[in-house]
Amino acid sequence: MVERIQANDPSGMEELYGIFTTGIRFYLCRQLGPQDLDDKVHDAFLTIAQSIRRGDLREPERLMGYVRTVVRRQVAGYIGTAVEARRNFVDADHTPILRDRKPDPERTAIEEQNTALAMRVLNTLPRRDREVLVRFYLQEQSPGQICRDMRLTATQFRLTKSRAKARFTELGQARFARRLGFTASMEARRKGSAPAQAS
Amino acid sequence: MAISIGPHLDAETTEKYSLEQLSARKTAEIETHLLICESCRKAVAASDAYVAAMREAATRVRKTEQNAMPRRHVAAR
Repeated sequence: MVERIQANDPSGMEELYGIFTTGIRFYLCRQLGPQDLDDKVHDAFLTIAQSIRRGDLREPERLMGYVRTVVRRQVAGYIGTAVEARRNFVDADHTPILRDRKPDPERTAIEEQNTALAMRVLNTLPRRDREVLVRFYLQEQSPGQICRDMRLTATQFRLTKSRAKARFTELGQARFARRLGFTASMEARRKGSAPAQAS
Repeated sequence: MAISIGPHLDAETTEKYSLEQLSARKTAEIETHLLICESCRKAVAASDAYVAAMREAATRVRKTEQNAMPRRHVAAR
């Protein structure tokens, strides 16, 4: 594949795209959010192809690590540009230029639902277990520190965490099943009340 | 071209990755694996969602506890 890309054979680029598109998309979205994602993925492939053609990838078997390095540099570049633009604008006008983009309503709704589930999990736990989770996820204390401060064994700590996660998953699945049931009943109702077609 | 996918992520590593608690070397290894492993990407996405939800919920719980604290003191008097 690398040789074909270097030789400008379109099948090489096709294969590269086929293997890495989803992964690069996932990485860029996770690091930078969903805005202009298609353009960013396209830019990443252009950069990768150009640098392979230049001969920057000397060992073809290191392609995966190389792709990751290129995409990581691209992310750093976007962040650097955004920071610089914000700094320049603040210097010029004392007001921020890079306002937060309009939030994606669907994403916001899903995040809010997840938080509601996590609240349910935390609120139904004994106070001590809740404290363990707040220290770990919010205060970012290490497991070792939490165990020392709260006099827990490593197993007790792990159990508290895994039970909470299992409960969260269980509640999430129940919510999903309810939504599926709701959709199915709406669909059945829609079909039942659909006007009969003239024969 | 044969591409080696490497070992899949276990639950603990996945959570540490979501919490950004891994070394640069381990992070690089995982991110390279994620480029081509769909099942691990799904696991990371689920873990990211869980960690974000727990952080936000923990923030709210902490605030509620802190707000309730002075009232409890007053009530105790």
